[in-house]
Amino acid sequence: MIEICRRIEGQGQINYFIQNDKIHHVEFEFSAVRGFENILIGKKLVDIPRIVSRICGLCHASQSIASCKAIEDLYGVIPNFQSIIIRKVLMTAELIKSHIIHFFFQSFPDLLELFSITTNPVDTSNLIRFDPQLTSSIYDLIKTGTEISNLFGGRIIHLITPTPGGMLYKPSKKNLIVVKRYLQKAFINIDYILHKFVDLFSEKQPPEDFDLPVLNMLGTLNNGHYDRYDGNLHIIQSDGNEIKFDILNYENYFSKEVSLFGIKFLINSPKPILTGPIARYTLSRNNGNSIYNSLLKYFDMRWKKNILFVHFLQLLEIFYEIKSAIDMLEHHNLENQESLPTLNKILKRDGFGSVEAPRGTLVHHYHLNESNIIDSVKLFIPTEINFPLLNESIKNYAQKLYEKEDITSLNRKVQCMVRAFDPCIACATH
Amino acid sequence: MFPQFLEKTEITFFPFITNKKDLIKSDIALVEGCVSEESQIETLKNIRKNSTKLCALGTCAAFGGILGLSKKKRSDPISKFVEVDFVIPGCPPPINLLGNALMDLAENKSIKLPEKNMCYSCPLKGDMKANLNTLISRLLPSNSELNSDDDKQVCFLKRGILCLGPITREGCDHQCIKQGIPCEGCLGPPSKDFTSNLINFLSLVSLSNQLKRYDGIFNRFSKPILKRR
Repeated sequence: MIEICRRIEGQGQINYFIQNDKIHHVEFEFSAVRGFENILIGKKLVDIPRIVSRICGLCHASQSIASCKAIEDLYGVIPNFQSIIIRKVLMTAELIKSHIIHFFFQSFPDLLELFSITTNPVDTSNLIRFDPQLTSSIYDLIKTGTEISNLFGGRIIHLITPTPGGMLYKPSKKNLIVVKRYLQKAFINIDYILHKFVDLFSEKQPPEDFDLPVLNMLGTLNNGHYDRYDGNLHIIQSDGNEIKFDILNYENYFSKEVSLFGIKFLINSPKPILTGPIARYTLSRNNGNSIYNSLLKYFDMRWKKNILFVHFLQLLEIFYEIKSAIDMLEHHNLENQESLPTLNKILKRDGFGSVEAPRGTLVHHYHLNESNIIDSVKLFIPTEINFPLLNESIKNYAQKLYEKEDITSLNRKVQCMVRAFDPCIACATH
Repeated sequence: MFPQFLEKTEITFFPFITNKKDLIKSDIALVEGCVSEESQIETLKNIRKNSTKLCALGTCAAFGGILGLSKKKRSDPISKFVEVDFVIPGCPPPINLLGNALMDLAENKSIKLPEKNMCYSCPLKGDMKANLNTLISRLLPSNSELNSDDDKQVCFLKRGILCLGPITREGCDHQCIKQGIPCEGCLGPPSKDFTSNLINFLSLVSLSNQLKRYDGIFNRFSKPILKRR
């Protein structure tokens, strides 16, 4: 049985393999890899961030900034601090849009159904009428993300301003004020949405079927703190053991075959691996630092081990990042920017760049041949990292549902689980 | 723009945010993305059959798009398989162009795209005397040029940097040029097809051998269309 999955980024389908009235296997499938790793071979280094951005219209900023970082690594240059702040604000703009669209349009109808808040399936038109203030807050946040990308990035998506060495953009006083105002308004909106989430769901128990199994998690921390731009990679293993490593040494921990789908982890644990908001939350909490605010106390342990908790964490990340972005813009002078460093001499054959994209750890690895031409590219995509866990989870869930529910209801619920993993198929089919 | 558009329309099919499984008769279809696999052609024809007006949204749908750089994958514009009523080009479509076009569609008007090229109202137009003998040897300005405010006031082609402004439709408010980098041509040509414009233009300017060999320009947003439907 094949069912097309709705309300996800891109086109994917769920294949159920049924034999003798039993589900043997379930697989989430999407179209073949587009081959961006091959497309980039031989391209000029300064041209690459503009091409990789086109992999995805949602994760475009993460892709182009990870790419800039990998090229900066080849040249041994570091952008000035103003450029880094603007990049971080642009990544926040991307995160706001990506998380809020997923939360509201893709997953919120599932939450209303799974927690029996509404009895009928929720379509888009009754979704936007569910709570008009919620809907207008959501629209405002999408607008915030779009406007900030446009002002600081030069365009609504596929940003123009990130360039190897720094940023092309020097914000004017007026634009800084406008962006700060957008963020201040966004802060009020996300605060409302967070409280709404607590009111609607915190006293209810999440369905046990959505509990996460014992697993490993991958994310980035900067000296133990939440930071999606800079830091070391961390893997917390299922036994609680945490490994910390520099991106330069990533090959000791994971690898992939170019142009083939799937990432292989070399850690000593057979358990699947998860990256994204839940991993970032678990890692920063494990390091004694939490970005997370007082609303967390409304959720008990049953919530915190459940995949549906990702929705609350998405909202919290938006809340925290808006607050830090306002802080950064208020405390740093961005008007008198230092010059871009010159890119004269390539210092290494391998360049590594990573960021925490909204959906998790994203790594770009470029290799140059002796004439300094790119001859190999490896892109590690968060959705690819989460893929084995997603498949295992939907298989177990479908097998359980098959015994007690009809096929329509089974398929509807399995799709809810796929959406909770928030797969980005555009990135996954890079 | 999104809420206003939603107010005036009813979404009949949009897998990204709705559950609806089947295409039903609709007034407008907005189609994104190129055709890169055989199975997409049938879907596309089904969309055409069910919609009064069909609009190619974005450069991938309009011209084939970034997958043109792939040597293995096909990347056909949707017009190769179905009749297209309107095109909203750009990678991404510029926010004002997109907003106005969507509102025009919602009000049952036709979309009007600018008809001039990028140079027509370019902020770097200056005296406009193009010297075709200037050797074009670079794709982007260096970081030291980007640091200099004086350099940023001069036409890219005069500085030996490849700018596709002359063969690209205006309508993006010169977003890239204002940030100091040349036009990469994402809005496509004001008339005729992408590749023939590019061939004509590149044969007029003096392109360095290195750029002639660079395979990031020619098929960047469109592959040559060899055979029509």
